[in-house]
Amino acid sequence: MRTGFQEELDRVEGLLQEEGALVLRSLRGAVNAVQENDHELSDEVIAFDDEVDRRYVQIEEGIQLLLARQTPVATDLRLVLAMLHINLHLERMADYCVTIAKLTKLAPEVDPNPRLLEGFEEMGSRAEEMIRVALDSFERRDLAGAESLVDLDELIDRANRRVVEQLLALGAEPELREYGLRMVLVSRALERIGDHAVDIGEQTAYLLTAEFREFTDASHPTPREA
Amino acid sequence: MSQVETMSESPAAPVTIGDVAVQQAPAAEAFDVRGRDVVFDVQDVTVSYDDDPAVSDVSMKIYKNLVTAIIGPSGCGKSTFIRCFNRMNDLIPSARVDGLIDYHGTDLYGSSVDPVEVRMRIGMVFQKPNPFPKSIYDNVAFGPRVLGMKDDLSGRVQRALEQAALWDEVKDRLKRNALSLSGGQQQRLCIARALAVEPEVILMDEPASSLDPIATTRIEDLMHGLKENYTIVIVTHNMQQAARVADMTAFFSVETAADGAARTGILVEYDSTKRIFTQPSDKRTEDYVTGRFG
Amino acid sequence: MKQIAFRGVLLLSLSVALVTLGTLLFTVFQDGWGQLDKTLITGVNSSDPHQAGARPAILATIEMGLLLLAFVVPIGVGTAIYLEEYANKERWYNRLLEINIMNLAAVPSIVYGILGLAFLVRGLGLGRVLLAGAMILTLLVLPTVVIASREALRAVPNSIRQGAYALGATRWQVVWRQVLPAALPGIATGSILALSRAIGETAPLIMIGALTYIAFDPTLLGPFTALPVQIYDWISQSDQDYTLRAAGGIIVLLGILLVLNRVAIFVRNRYQKRW
Repeated sequence: MRTGFQEELDRVEGLLQEEGALVLRSLRGAVNAVQENDHELSDEVIAFDDEVDRRYVQIEEGIQLLLARQTPVATDLRLVLAMLHINLHLERMADYCVTIAKLTKLAPEVDPNPRLLEGFEEMGSRAEEMIRVALDSFERRDLAGAESLVDLDELIDRANRRVVEQLLALGAEPELREYGLRMVLVSRALERIGDHAVDIGEQTAYLLTAEFREFTDASHPTPREA
Repeated sequence: MSQVETMSESPAAPVTIGDVAVQQAPAAEAFDVRGRDVVFDVQDVTVSYDDDPAVSDVSMKIYKNLVTAIIGPSGCGKSTFIRCFNRMNDLIPSARVDGLIDYHGTDLYGSSVDPVEVRMRIGMVFQKPNPFPKSIYDNVAFGPRVLGMKDDLSGRVQRALEQAALWDEVKDRLKRNALSLSGGQQQRLCIARALAVEPEVILMDEPASSLDPIATTRIEDLMHGLKENYTIVIVTHNMQQAARVADMTAFFSVETAADGAARTGILVEYDSTKRIFTQPSDKRTEDYVTGRFG
Repeated sequence: MKQIAFRGVLLLSLSVALVTLGTLLFTVFQDGWGQLDKTLITGVNSSDPHQAGARPAILATIEMGLLLLAFVVPIGVGTAIYLEEYANKERWYNRLLEINIMNLAAVPSIVYGILGLAFLVRGLGLGRVLLAGAMILTLLVLPTVVIASREALRAVPNSIRQGAYALGATRWQVVWRQVLPAALPGIATGSILALSRAIGETAPLIMIGALTYIAFDPTLLGPFTALPVQIYDWISQSDQDYTLRAAGGIIVLLGILLVLNRVAIFVRNRYQKRW
């Protein structure tokens, strides 16, 4: 029944998963570029963003058409709205990858601190993992998976704090200071990518429970280690 | 470069992050009318009853293998207009059709054109299901019989019923009276009846308006499948239905003459359904589809 | 209170009809029941009332009935089809035709008798024969059959015609294959009822010369009589025994009519369509 409608829903969801895959590649490229200070790779990441943007527009158009033509209700409506939001979050993630790439190019040549690089690698891996979990739990309509993103986000937040500490301890020379500044922004970008993954999880939860709910709230922190 | 290889999907090919064969997603609107065959080219068509124009100066093209919907308020001449395509207006003595309807290069109302042949190629399904008071088999076989398509009659009947998604439900009771079917089944029977003569075009005049929602969805799904092989023109007063099923939508409205006496139907806007329902060009269309009409 | 009074009036009207009919039937059966013997049906007329039979009359009535059906159905249904399916109702000649048919239905049967005498018996030179009788009766009930057939054709919903046209059928195919079959029960009922009326007609047959004393079986182009005529003749006799015989004949006639009506009702109920 309503085969045309279902096909269209599946098509848009497929595009969304594709966009997610593209974001993952963009992220891996950006993190690698930071670690190896590879400006060429950074340029590629920046150029690659066009691919993500193309998907983004296709998904937006697809959702507009779904709403205009199919008047979805109940689960269908929640799915369309969830996809609308997830699309936005993925696009923001891709933008952050571009930011990281740009920062890599702007940062001065400095001897890399191995622990720092480890920290970025850890954050990058965590972020990748969070994106995968977010997309997987959306695809499988898995509420527990979506909610687990909160814990993963905590890990990325801790890694972020460690990286910031190390950057603060870099030194007073102008080059080092500039490097530190740029890298703080990189760290923040990675952390924000993690936040967007949590947002995707919230959309999955909305789809399944019909509740608009934030998993955690800064003003009502769950008791965790500081 | 190691990082390039980790990014590429197919390790064999040396590619950059942007080069990898990213699958082009199929476009949502998989048609572009500019390349399409035109089935009907309507030029300045006016239909009048006793010199009273019911619908005036309509010009539009109907494209092959698409579903074209005609929407609009009651009294705008939608049914009158669609009946021009299979010359059913001929049956009304007071009706007159002016203008040109070009069907694959032939004037549909030309003097040498036989209305029977027209109706053989352009079938019609009506608002209220009208099965003949005969068996299911005889209903579907009627068209081929009167048109002399005697070969493989049972095969034709079966294929038509299959295409109308009714075969499985009636295959064991083809000899039963058609009036014993439910409303939705009767309408699908009427569709099968029309399909049995292998037309090119199927006209549907509000085919689902007398059916319940489930039967309606069945008919809509059917249209989705049929348009692969047929060209479908549907009149509907249900806008959402047009939004769901149609590729192209034509919005007709009523125009009152300056003296307030004569009311006639006119074509206001004709575009892809996507445009009509997301960004109509004419304010009257916008008012109608948003429900702020009148 | 008004309700009861109204019901009372209705019952009173009903009882008038019933009482009258009842009395008639009662007297007929009282006289005629005893007359129902083999001779009545198998014998021919005789000077002895107790031996008088009505076989020639019964046979003639049945023959005329069959001829009637053979004539009136094609002509009547054909006319009805023309008027309903083909004629442009705006044209003056079609409207004239329609009005004429309506009027003809109301013409007294004796007029048909005179018509028959003038044009069929004398004009065509047929003579006073069974065929002429059948033809007169045809003319008599033709308007009724046309009207009944028209009603039956009208009762076929237009959506059926539209559906058939839309499939590419010609007007003839639509009529012959869809409309007529669907209207058949109504046409059949109308024809049978027309037949029952014709069977009971006496005056026109007498006008064209139905005999009253016939001792042989009727032939198509020979002298004839009919059951109502025979009954009329017997009643006219001075011998009271003939009157009793007539009562027997009446019962036979009623029997035939009852059977015909039963068939009509059966056809109507069996094939009635629920549109």
